[in-house]
Amino acid sequence: MRPRPFFLCFFLPSLAAALLLVAALGEIAQYAFRVFTPGSLEVGGFTLDNFARLARPIYLSVLGDTLLISLATSLFTLLLSYPVAYAMVRAKSDFLRSLIMLLAVTPLFTGEIVRTYAWILVLGSNGFVNTVLKSAGLIGAPLGLLYTRFGVIVALVQFSMPVMIIILATTLAHVDRNCERAAANLGAGPAQVFRHVTLPLTLPGVVSGTVVIFAWTMSAFSTPQLIGGGKVLMISNLVYLQGLSSFNFPFAAVLSLLALAVAMGSLGSIRPFVSRLELKAAIN
Amino acid sequence: MSARLARGLRASLFWGPVALILVYMTIPAFVVLMTSISPSELLEFPPSGFSFRWYERAFSYPDFQNAFVNGLIVTAFASSLSLLIGSAFAYLVDRYVFAGRAALEAVLASPLIIPHFTTGFGFLLLGADLGLGQSYAVVIATHVVLTLPFVSRTVYVSLRNLDPALERAATNLGASPFEVLRRVTLPLLRPGMVGGWLLAAILSLTEFTASLYVTAQRTQTLPVAMYTYVREYTDPTIAAISALLIIFTTALMLLANRYLGLRRILAIDAH
Amino acid sequence: MALRSAAVLAIGAMLLATAPLRAQDKLVVDIWGGNFRDGANEAIAKEFTKRTGMPVEFITGGTIDRLTKAKINRDHPESDVTVTTSHVGALYVSEGLFEKLDMAKLPNAKDLFPVAIRSPYHIGLYSYVYTPAFRTDLMPAGYDIKSWKDLWSPEVKGKLGLPDFDPSHIIIAAALLAGGNAENWKVGIPLLEELKPSIKAFYQSDATSQDLMKSGETPVQVLLSINAFHQMQQGIPIKIAIPKEGAVVGIDAIGIVHGTKHLEAAYQYLNIALDPEIQAKLCGIYRCGAMNEKAKLDPELAKLPGVFTTPEQWKTQAIAVDDVTRAKLLPVWKDWFTENMMQ
Repeated sequence: MRPRPFFLCFFLPSLAAALLLVAALGEIAQYAFRVFTPGSLEVGGFTLDNFARLARPIYLSVLGDTLLISLATSLFTLLLSYPVAYAMVRAKSDFLRSLIMLLAVTPLFTGEIVRTYAWILVLGSNGFVNTVLKSAGLIGAPLGLLYTRFGVIVALVQFSMPVMIIILATTLAHVDRNCERAAANLGAGPAQVFRHVTLPLTLPGVVSGTVVIFAWTMSAFSTPQLIGGGKVLMISNLVYLQGLSSFNFPFAAVLSLLALAVAMGSLGSIRPFVSRLELKAAIN
Repeated sequence: MSARLARGLRASLFWGPVALILVYMTIPAFVVLMTSISPSELLEFPPSGFSFRWYERAFSYPDFQNAFVNGLIVTAFASSLSLLIGSAFAYLVDRYVFAGRAALEAVLASPLIIPHFTTGFGFLLLGADLGLGQSYAVVIATHVVLTLPFVSRTVYVSLRNLDPALERAATNLGASPFEVLRRVTLPLLRPGMVGGWLLAAILSLTEFTASLYVTAQRTQTLPVAMYTYVREYTDPTIAAISALLIIFTTALMLLANRYLGLRRILAIDAH
Repeated sequence: MALRSAAVLAIGAMLLATAPLRAQDKLVVDIWGGNFRDGANEAIAKEFTKRTGMPVEFITGGTIDRLTKAKINRDHPESDVTVTTSHVGALYVSEGLFEKLDMAKLPNAKDLFPVAIRSPYHIGLYSYVYTPAFRTDLMPAGYDIKSWKDLWSPEVKGKLGLPDFDPSHIIIAAALLAGGNAENWKVGIPLLEELKPSIKAFYQSDATSQDLMKSGETPVQVLLSINAFHQMQQGIPIKIAIPKEGAVVGIDAIGIVHGTKHLEAAYQYLNIALDPEIQAKLCGIYRCGAMNEKAKLDPELAKLPGVFTTPEQWKTQAIAVDDVTRAKLLPVWKDWFTENMMQ
């Protein structure tokens, strides 16, 4: 056996961190099976009631909403991010490439509260959009953009774009230009080159990016909380409502597990698909 | 139609929408900046005047001051711990094969997929059941776990790019494994480690959802304090703090791009 | 590595620098934020600091959020004094989170209305009402609310704002309209379901409630009188209505956190808060009803809707539900409300 000089002292901290995380998740799993005493944080014995409660229409509808919003967000994010990623990688001027990157990536680091609050300012009845539209004479009464699914999705898309743009840009940067040039030499117009060469080559990145954004949006909290205003509920908001605001820890735990299962399930189901795509792209 | 005109038309068909999309991405920041200097408590566009009163209030509000300090404390500990553990783990994965390695990797990478509110809730329950309540220890532990995957990935990439010949040369010259680590490996890993540490620090400073669960009032970080403020006051003070954060991060990004070649780090420059 | 040692030194320095911030002895009061905290600071905390030299630090949050955090941190409480709604205070009491009050240490308590002694552990500070209110400039001319039933009228469709953290008031009102009361509230369920199309948004806090009113998103709300008056002071044209069935009374109460390290100081804070002059000052700021009989409220203030100063008013205008019932039903109401009204 090869000598492993640092194994133990590197292994133990990693193990400790992993055990902490497992313990935290274990707590959630444990609480999910306990009886909830209304008005108290003390939990009772073993029960499956909390899971049965999931079947009530409202929770199914919140789950449905969450999936819908996540799907819509990831698709729109893809649609809007691809052109920007393309521009960022293929623009001729260095300045333009840097500018686009700065505009696209900086928001990622300002933190979600800042970004969510900014959208409240933009979408509110007296907000930016309504004021501009009103002074342009395009609308009489303010548009109700806050507290709607539409408002939440608009904000979530802008949230997710930086990550998607980075993923797509990385993929685009690795596309072999020679393939494109070959196609052009064979007489293909730019649109055809894109459709038949560039797009398929970037497909693995497209798929994995979309799935990443989907999973990420599933766990969105501050956006539906502040922009949805209680009328747009995603799983995360329900966990908060039930957990911290109703101290029903057992049911909040069940909801957390559900969110986790859906996130992992969606990522897991795509994996074989993505690796097949990557294989295809590599062969080509 | 001449080829030039066609190309020009195509270009504007492309750049037009791209410009619009970029505007969509930047409008919130722009609106925040505008609101932060508005003298009135109610929202209005364009602002009726120019005033720094919200900045004054943001700086003097005790909750923000405490939260800012809390954030620094938590981030300092969390990102440093994350760096130590993450680097150790990256080294482990790069150099050693051992039973349970895949499981360990999966567990430590899982915070990337697990919703932050799940992780936060789990640590809240763990802290409560261990009698630690919502103390600094719990908040720091949460942040470490959340930032670990990012740090270890960054350091791992650096490790992979390391030329093993250098370490072998040092060993051949008689250096002990510890000396090799200290005088060859670590210095070579420094850019990756610094990058990882910075990434962990930024993620920890701006982390909100998990922190909402694990922080108490005394330990609350700045994003949580801002959220509480939005729920309690209706004036543009948050706009002032947000504007400061936006300006600060933009300046940081400009510097990072100029001196570190951000595009290279993000691997988005075309070959 | 130089970088690492620098980092360690920096952390150590920061910790040392912040140590004095933490060591200073002060009384920590947990309360709602915004105008509630500001008012308490102005009327009570300043006087307390003047008399004892001890600074007061406020920590803020939502009603139930603070209860949950108090329960989690019960072994090392964050605050010394808690101000919360009276019925949620009953939940604190049942969890053993408040100290039993030694009335001998609260001389000002002898002048309180009987209704102020909520339990041996918490005392009422002031009263207010949750009642329908509307923007006079955003509703049709001549619009008025004379009964809770008016919230169901077609003019309110898509304009109503309701609290999501405590649905007691609308549930109690619906129950009354249906001929029931808080205990058999389920008779009001059909009415509540009819109300759904009228609801535009829910508010999670005092500030979001005021936001919705100020911006006109929900020109009609079941609104806390104190928040209504606060906005009227800012120039927003709001009319508060006391429906003929009465307005749902709320009492905010104060208690001493179990296990506090500043017991004597906490008692002093409570006693000052119950002082007639301080009560008058507090109610002048909040526009609420005082709990101390001897508090002399400004006559203009006493005339305001929702400010109860006479037994007559308490009898005819107030819908009061006892703490224990309300505390017991709150989680049930919240669950029902979340599952049926919020979607």
